[in-house]
Amino acid sequence: MRRLFANRVALATGLIVILMSVLFALSRVAG
Amino acid sequence: MLPYRVRVAVWIIVYLLFILGPLFALLVGALPPARDFWTEFSVALGYAGLAMMSLQFGLTARFRYVTNPWGEDIIYHFHRQISLIAVGLVVAHPLILFAVRPELLALLNSIQAPWRARFAAMSTYSLIALVVMSLWRVKLNIRYETWHLTHILLAIIAVTAGIAHMIGWGFYLVYPWKRALWIGLTIFWIGLLLYIRIIKPLFQLRRPYRVSEVREERGDTWTLVMQPDGHPGFRFTPGQFGWLTVWGSPFKITGHPFSFSSSAAVTDGRVDMTIRNLGDLTSEIHKVPVGKRVYLDGPYGAFTIGNPADMHVLIAGGVGITPMMSMLRTLADHGDKRPVILLYGSRDWESITFREELEALKERLNLTIIHVLSNPPAGWTGEQGRIDAEVFRRHLPPPYADHEYFICGPNVMMDSIEKALGELHVPMSKYHSERYSFV
Repeated sequence: MRRLFANRVALATGLIVILMSVLFALSRVAG
Repeated sequence: MLPYRVRVAVWIIVYLLFILGPLFALLVGALPPARDFWTEFSVALGYAGLAMMSLQFGLTARFRYVTNPWGEDIIYHFHRQISLIAVGLVVAHPLILFAVRPELLALLNSIQAPWRARFAAMSTYSLIALVVMSLWRVKLNIRYETWHLTHILLAIIAVTAGIAHMIGWGFYLVYPWKRALWIGLTIFWIGLLLYIRIIKPLFQLRRPYRVSEVREERGDTWTLVMQPDGHPGFRFTPGQFGWLTVWGSPFKITGHPFSFSSSAAVTDGRVDMTIRNLGDLTSEIHKVPVGKRVYLDGPYGAFTIGNPADMHVLIAGGVGITPMMSMLRTLADHGDKRPVILLYGSRDWESITFREELEALKERLNLTIIHVLSNPPAGWTGEQGRIDAEVFRRHLPPPYADHEYFICGPNVMMDSIEKALGELHVPMSKYHSERYSFV
């Protein structure tokens, strides 16, 4: 269960990083 | 101490800050003109991917406040999973650029490409080699020690070449303070690795141990009894482990993690490690001569005795009994009478490591032992097969979520026990696990 939770944390971290990279790019293009 | 959920949340927030902080710091101050969305997006992925790769040095630096609240085995598991994601992000960076700006494909020609592109290629190829070697080490027939050394070198090359590529390209790192931030962070993370591999071994060289006894136990298992040589040793809490270097100096990549099996209540610095013959280094343990100088790096791990008010349920498979043995011996030495149930899975009756001593410990503790044998003798009336939710229901008093669970054993057993605890609605904060094959 902890490994499963760790998997989810890793996946969520990846998704957050991708989302933040999109925000980074949008802020640059919009700015 | 903060509640478990809060500690987990703080850990994740700090982890994310280390990745996203340096990325968004790039947006502070005057900026060069923006390029198209996909170029900016791919650049952000590259920066974030490199920050995640650098963080791996921190994850595996064996610091207690990093491994808490997960446990060392889960940290290594997370290290593997997050590495795959980070490598994916780093590789996506050039792939997106090649898709939107095909003229950049010319940079793949390493002979004519500028150094900033060569560094990018070096970093990416190192990362790919690192992942391939890690995922298929056994299939590729690479020795653990060779793999470990190569793993460290490739990681350093990947991160150093990555930062060289960023600086070479300039753009977001034109300003000295931004360069200093990214270079400083990289130096910090690589410094952590050097601390583990050079500074700590230097300390260990001055704090050796001597093997004072090599004792045979049941189940093709041996106990190494070690005494500090010329120093007072270290204190550990029962359930923790150390990295043992038997052959060679602590500078060699030959340390292996083993749990301490002795009581933490001893005051002369003595440390026991009980090691089963599982092939490779462990098959040589019985040949270690008495008086041999060895090196111990420890203690590590958050797998240790819990709240005295809770019933402790210790679940051990095979040589997973060693940290439990340390807990039981320590509780006995402290005269601690908290209720403890030991569920102990073994192959057969004759291979139950510490069988006689466990029986003797029942006299000094409030201890119930349930042996579960996968190959029971004729006439055996006890539990047989594997430890599962049914075994829990037969031997543990409800409510199950009130107890504290400590699990140590082979991966297959750990997975099935964690599943069984889930079926019994035991929250994650109430169980602690340590896999002895986490590297």
